[in-house]
Amino acid sequence: MNQTQNDHRKMIWTIGGGKGGSGKSFITANIGVCLSKLGARVILIDADLGGANLHTFLGIFPPALSLSDFIKKRVSRLEEVLIPTDIPNLQLLSGAQDLLNATDAKSVQRRKLLRSIQSLEGDYVLVDLGGGNAVSVLDFFLMSDGGILVVTPEPTAIENTYRFLKSAFYRRLKQSVSSYPVKTLIDQAMDRKNEMGIQNPHDLMKAVRRISKEDAQRIEEEAKTFHPNLILNQARSKKDIEIGFSVRSACQKYFGIHLHYLGYIAYDQDVSHSIRRRRPLVIENSRSRAAQCVIEIAAKLANSHQKSLGIE
Amino acid sequence: MKGIEEQTYYEILEVSPSATLKEIQRAYERAKETFHSDSLAVYSLFSEGEIHEIRAAIEEAYRVLTDEMLRKKYDQSFLQAPGEQKWEIPPEVQGIPREKEPSLSFTGIAFNVREDTYRGKTLKEIREGMGIDLKTISIETKINMRILEWIEEETFDRLPAMVYLKGFLRAYAKSLDLDPQRVVDGYVRFLAESKKR
Repeated sequence: MNQTQNDHRKMIWTIGGGKGGSGKSFITANIGVCLSKLGARVILIDADLGGANLHTFLGIFPPALSLSDFIKKRVSRLEEVLIPTDIPNLQLLSGAQDLLNATDAKSVQRRKLLRSIQSLEGDYVLVDLGGGNAVSVLDFFLMSDGGILVVTPEPTAIENTYRFLKSAFYRRLKQSVSSYPVKTLIDQAMDRKNEMGIQNPHDLMKAVRRISKEDAQRIEEEAKTFHPNLILNQARSKKDIEIGFSVRSACQKYFGIHLHYLGYIAYDQDVSHSIRRRRPLVIENSRSRAAQCVIEIAAKLANSHQKSLGIE
Repeated sequence: MKGIEEQTYYEILEVSPSATLKEIQRAYERAKETFHSDSLAVYSLFSEGEIHEIRAAIEEAYRVLTDEMLRKKYDQSFLQAPGEQKWEIPPEVQGIPREKEPSLSFTGIAFNVREDTYRGKTLKEIREGMGIDLKTISIETKINMRILEWIEEETFDRLPAMVYLKGFLRAYAKSLDLDPQRVVDGYVRFLAESKKR
C-alpha cells in the first residue's frame, strides 16, 4: 500500500455499538496497528464515554495531553495533543482522563472537534466510541466514512447493538428531512409504544408518505446509502459466526438497510494475555487465531478504501 | 424500505433473480436459522406475529423458487425484464463472482479443511455446513443420489470405476465451490490408503 503518495483522501472509521466490554477498544487498537504495518499513517482517537483506556492497549501510560485539553481550549490545535506510539506511522489521541469527555462536550465544541478530526493529516482515523447511545456518540458514528458495530454473540449485546443502530438510523433520517412534522414523527417513532402505532421503519415510512412525499423520498435514499459494518467478537463456534449473517439479514428485513458483515474474531485466551501485558495482540502473538481474524478484517478495510479510491 | 408483503421472493430469501438452486437452498437454510424461534438475532427487533409472518413468507418463497415451473411462472408475472431488474447487489458482493461470495471465506475458516483431506466425510461436512441437501447436488450435477451417498459414506466397494468416479468427484466439488483437482486428488489418495489398510 502506498496511499499517501497516490491520494490524500483519508478514511474515518468509528467503532461503536451498544454494550461496554464487547471489545471495541481492543479491535480499534489492533486494526490500527495492522493498518500502520501496511504502511498507512494511522491516528487512533479515544472518545470512550465510559472510560478512556485505548492507551493501555498500546502499552502507553495515561498521557499528559488528551482531548480535554483541546475541548477546554488549553491547546488550540488538535494536532498538539497527538502523541506518537512505539509503532511507526501510528499516533494516538488519548481520551479525556477527567469527567469531561469528547462525546460529552457541548454541541458547538463537538462540531469544532469533528471538523478538526476531519482535517487531521493521515490515511486512516479510527475513533473508539465506547458504549452508550448518547446523541453525541451517534453524531460521531454518523459523521464517519464507515461506522463499525462490535457485537458479541450474546442476547444482551445484540439487543444493545440494535438499540444503538435504531437510534443512529432514526437520527440520520431525522437529519435528512426538512419538515418539522416529519422530524417530530421520527422522534415519536423511537418509542415503540407510540400512539400512532408505528412499530418499525416500514410503518414510519407509510406515516411519512402521508405528510410529505419529498421527505419520504429522502428517507428512502438515506436508507439505501446507510451501510454500517459489523464485527462479531469472541466467536466460539460456527453457530456464533452465523449470528453475524443472521443480524445482517434481520437488519435487511427490519430497517431495509444493508449491514456489511466485516467478519468475526475468534474467542482466544491470547487476547486477554496480550491485554494484561499491555501489548497489541497482532504484535505480541500475530499467529494466534484472534490476531489472524483481526488481520483479515484490517485487510478488508484497507482493500475497501483502495477500491473507493480506484486503486487496485 | 419494504414490508415483507411487498418484497419479491428473491428479496425475501436475499438472493439475486439469477440465483441457482443451490444458492436458493443455502439462502433458505440461513433464513430459516435466522428466523428460528431460538434465534438471538430477531426476538428483540420483531414481534412474535412479525416473525411468524416472515417465516411463512420464507417458506412460500422457497416453495415457489425451487419448483422450476412455478419459478418460471412467477418470474414472468412479477419480475421485470432482465435488463430492467431493480435488484440491488449488496456492496460487499459487487464485483465479486457469485460463487466467490465473501460469506464462503467465513465457512472456509470455520471448517479449517486441509487441502489433502477431502475424504467422503469431509465433503459431507462441508455440504451440510453450507446448508445444501444431497438432492440439490444430485439435481445440479445429474449424479445419481445413491452414488453421491456412497461417495460421502466412503462405501468404496460400490463406487464406480475410477474414470467415472473422478468425473463425479469433479462435478461434486464444483457444485460446492471447491477446487475440483484437489478434491479428486485428496479423495483418490484417501481411497488408495484405505484399500492398503
